[in-house]
Amino acid sequence: MTRLRADRRRPMTLLRAVVAELRKTATLPASAAATAVAVLGPLGITVLNAFSVRNAIRSGQPGLVAYTSPAEAAFSAAPLGTIGAIILGVVVISSEFTANSPDAGGGRQITATLAATPRRLVVLAAKAVAVVLNVLAAAAITLPACLFVADFVIGDLATPDDLGPTAARAAGAALYWTLTALMALAITVLTRSGVIPLIVLIVNSSLVSVSMVLTHVTTLAYYLPDAAGMRLFADDPLGEFEHALAPLTGGLVMAAWALGFLAVSSAVFTRRDA
Amino acid sequence: MTTKPTRTAAVRLARTAAVRLARTTAAELVKLRGLPAILGTALGTVVTGAFLAVALASSAPTATDATDVVTHTVLFLQIGPILIGVLAVATEYAGRQIATTLTATPNRRLLLAGKAAAYLIVATATSVTTIVAGLAAAQLTLIARDRAAEAREFDPWPAAGAVTYLVLIGVLALALATLLRSLIPPLVGMLTVVLVVSPLLSGYTEHARWLPDRAGGLLYLPTTDPVLGARTGTIVLLTWIALTGSAAIAAFRSRDA
Repeated sequence: MTRLRADRRRPMTLLRAVVAELRKTATLPASAAATAVAVLGPLGITVLNAFSVRNAIRSGQPGLVAYTSPAEAAFSAAPLGTIGAIILGVVVISSEFTANSPDAGGGRQITATLAATPRRLVVLAAKAVAVVLNVLAAAAITLPACLFVADFVIGDLATPDDLGPTAARAAGAALYWTLTALMALAITVLTRSGVIPLIVLIVNSSLVSVSMVLTHVTTLAYYLPDAAGMRLFADDPLGEFEHALAPLTGGLVMAAWALGFLAVSSAVFTRRDA
Repeated sequence: MTTKPTRTAAVRLARTAAVRLARTTAAELVKLRGLPAILGTALGTVVTGAFLAVALASSAPTATDATDVVTHTVLFLQIGPILIGVLAVATEYAGRQIATTLTATPNRRLLLAGKAAAYLIVATATSVTTIVAGLAAAQLTLIARDRAAEAREFDPWPAAGAVTYLVLIGVLALALATLLRSLIPPLVGMLTVVLVVSPLLSGYTEHARWLPDRAGGLLYLPTTDPVLGARTGTIVLLTWIALTGSAAIAAFRSRDA
């Protein structure tokens, strides 16, 4: 009888923890900044890209730009959304471990969090769910808006993109952002401070990723977390990355990395002192 | 006879100011040395510089020149001085260190000058060591691959430009951190501009050349831009530093700590 009641209570605990984490995330100034980066960053870059594509076509020199399709103009701005996702994943954890000012007692949020929700896996799962929901919400606003803006600016000047592949790439970009945010969260659980995960992940989500340098040394580098998922949203019009993993394989490899990081961080988080 | 005492007084005043600045700088250097994160960043930058130089020199099919290899690693190495600049300021605000600091040195302009001087010493030492280590690592790798260019004259200017660029981009980070009084926002801001926004924009708009890292990059890649040269590029970067620095100094002097 008591067992049954406990089993029934468990989903409620998780649900309540998720709601609590969503509220905590919503009240962090840093998560507002992260959302702003994820939404406004790609939009701004898309507008710039789209106008330079339009100018290049109008002036009769489409060779000035690397591509002319509206979808390309939108998706080449996706790395800024990854930055927003990284910031969100990092601050959700690092804010728990940041000490208050000594004037205010010098306490840490994590002690209150664990007093309220002693089950550590529930805390971690709730945080992961909160991050995923936030990132997917940002992606659901940003990616269609970018595609719309690019299409609006470039208009009939370029050949329109097919709806199916474009939608698949948008879903891929959203997945890439989500998995990167989960990796950021998991790594920050291990380091308890945001600096190292921020540096490592921002470097590797950039166009000049260290993984890309390493692909010159060995093609195995395409299995590194950030490089594996690159084809989820990035086309390769110049054929520079012929050994890159296909979208499905790459997405699965990246998801495996994210799950692996989460597993390690869960093991560490459940075992050590906060 | 009448001017002599005033001149002595002026000399004494200048000497006092110099002594004060030297003492403040020494105090700031002691603080920087006491931060494990600064030491870790400096060592990490040197090791990364050598590692990347070996990786590039052993993989790039056309690499024959150590300077060429090293200038291509500056893109990543700039994270080191940026982190040093941000940490030098942000650690003051992590606890109440800033209250102690201002009690000891109430003159805020003097404090900023001392901090900047301490940063310059640490960042210059780090950058010089990193670039030299990178050059040595690249040259050894090229020799081991039998690819070293034969007896070409070594041009020290790109390497000196790379060192200057590394130090300057960190000054910009220091100024931004002073303005924002925190760790994560200036760090993320700087990294996003130099690693994501700048490469993204440079492909699609020529105006990207006015960004601080693009303009400053002409210090070590002097022939890549039709409008700016090494000198004008440096001026653009210095203008960014001057604007951010002025805002930081004004904010630091006028607000509560």
